[in-house]
Amino acid sequence: MSAAIEIKNLSKHFGAKVAVNDVTFNVEEGHCYGLIGPNGAGKTTTFSMMCGFLFPTSGSIKVLGVSPSEPGALKGKVGVLPQDAILPPTWPVGDLLTYYGELSGLPNAESEARAALERVQLPETWNVQAGALSHGMHKRVSMAQALMGSPPVIFLDEPTAGLDPKIAASVRGVIRDLKGKHTVVVSSHNLQELEELCDASAILDKGKLVNASTMAELTGQMAEFRVQIARGDVPLAEVKALSGVKDARLEPGNILCVTFDGQAVQPEEIITRAVGLLASKNVLFLTVWRGKRLEERVLQLT
Amino acid sequence: MEADLQEIGAIWRGETRRALKSGRVLVLLILFLLFVGLALTIVGGINHQINAKFDTQLAMAGADPGQAREQMVAAKKQFLSTFITDDEAMLDSLSALPLVLLVVFKLTLRFLPLFIALMGFDQLAGEVGPKSVRYLVVRVKRSSIILGKLLSQATLFGILLVICTVLMVLVSKVLNPEFAAVDVALWTLKLILTSFTLSLAYLALTALFSALTRQGAVSLVLNIIALFVIWFIALIGEAFRFPGEEALPNTLAMLKTESWVAYLRYGSVWHFGDDLLHPQTLRWMTSGLVHLGFGLVFLGLAQLALSKRDL
Repeated sequence: MSAAIEIKNLSKHFGAKVAVNDVTFNVEEGHCYGLIGPNGAGKTTTFSMMCGFLFPTSGSIKVLGVSPSEPGALKGKVGVLPQDAILPPTWPVGDLLTYYGELSGLPNAESEARAALERVQLPETWNVQAGALSHGMHKRVSMAQALMGSPPVIFLDEPTAGLDPKIAASVRGVIRDLKGKHTVVVSSHNLQELEELCDASAILDKGKLVNASTMAELTGQMAEFRVQIARGDVPLAEVKALSGVKDARLEPGNILCVTFDGQAVQPEEIITRAVGLLASKNVLFLTVWRGKRLEERVLQLT
Repeated sequence: MEADLQEIGAIWRGETRRALKSGRVLVLLILFLLFVGLALTIVGGINHQINAKFDTQLAMAGADPGQAREQMVAAKKQFLSTFITDDEAMLDSLSALPLVLLVVFKLTLRFLPLFIALMGFDQLAGEVGPKSVRYLVVRVKRSSIILGKLLSQATLFGILLVICTVLMVLVSKVLNPEFAAVDVALWTLKLILTSFTLSLAYLALTALFSALTRQGAVSLVLNIIALFVIWFIALIGEAFRFPGEEALPNTLAMLKTESWVAYLRYGSVWHFGDDLLHPQTLRWMTSGLVHLGFGLVFLGLAQLALSKRDL
């Protein structure tokens, strides 16, 4: 698999303020990639440079092999949902999306616009002025324009922020459908959402990259698992003695944490053996999960 | 190249359609018409009263009507040479126009740059502030955005100019029945072309300030300041005679001091505006090219500003 987006030593300064500092990572083709970090971490600045809205102070970005700042280089190849860009309020949604389709060079802009609105479940807004849309509708119309023409790379900045749970779930569904067929970059504060959707991610903090890896590596899914113990004495020594297990310990809240060699043993094998051992020793448990929650990992890193 | 033209065409169509549907063009048209109507009423009223008084005095003096008409033409030329131009060829050409039309047209030209600023101050700044320009930037080149929007502004302003100029000429025809139909048609065309050519530089200037700023209000204020600077440069330059330049007797030039400051006038596009109505081809063509040149410089700066800035 080749890289759809390559970022090398990217920095962005706003006067004396360093918003992004020497960031390097790649996004593989067909991956759903998360940009993670607290407020002011440089996510939106990095995102904006990838889309060609901001010029890097130093370093380079290649999206599909070309610099996004090169005029017209990514026409029709990139769809973007910018975080706080307001749709021109006096345009009816249908006319606006058709106009955007024409600008993208789509041969049948109007039908593309209608299809995109259907996809975000808002066909009824065709004649509604963009300025009259609610926040949630605005976000979805904005998402629709990003999907028009089925571009190979799609950038989504906070796609579900401010949406009610039902609509947010449907937007997540749309993103899930894009996986594998498009390269998708999602910037979000919703870590549960990113954990669910993304194959890989970059974690930024104070403008610096603190981690860039696959989601499995990041959350340790190939290296550890946890068991929530309900009752009984955990045979720690016997768990540690299992083949492939590196360590086992009890964490606060009566959670058994087992780390293992993901190269030597498959997670499903070691989990099954460990759980079997616990059951044979009359240890009752409630749940088993691989790795750490993304939230936990991010909090640890930032 | 073809793709660029398609982009520019698509932006031009979209922006023009949007503007025509919005209320702003209608408001500006009403404002422009009110301005022209007011100027026509005041200037027409004064002109009518002067003519009536002149006719009464002539009747009382028992003067020959032919001689009186010649005196009237001479008085008109005197007025033109004092307030409009002291160029002989221009005087002859302009005296064919009803005085009302000439004065109102000149007044309109003075305010054209302001109307242009009011119409287009937020063409780009209004999209950069709320970031809606980002929806365009991912689709088209930044240069196409400027050119498409500028063309749209030029189209809308052209429509306003045609409506207002035709109105001006028609009212003048009603007030001056001797204004021949052929002259009406020719002057209508000439006045429209003159005002449109004059507009080119100011349309580009408005695009420049809109490309430099993030807020429409800031763009408008800067644009108006720039207009004043342009006017001042021309006025200061024209207030002096060139070193070694001879002044004809009984002309305004007699009152001017010789100074190199006179060359300053060439730094302002405003100085070249009057020549657009000049009867000599070389003069109006030069003036037209100067306006186009200034327009291209402003446009180039606008392109540079937008291509280098973060959006």
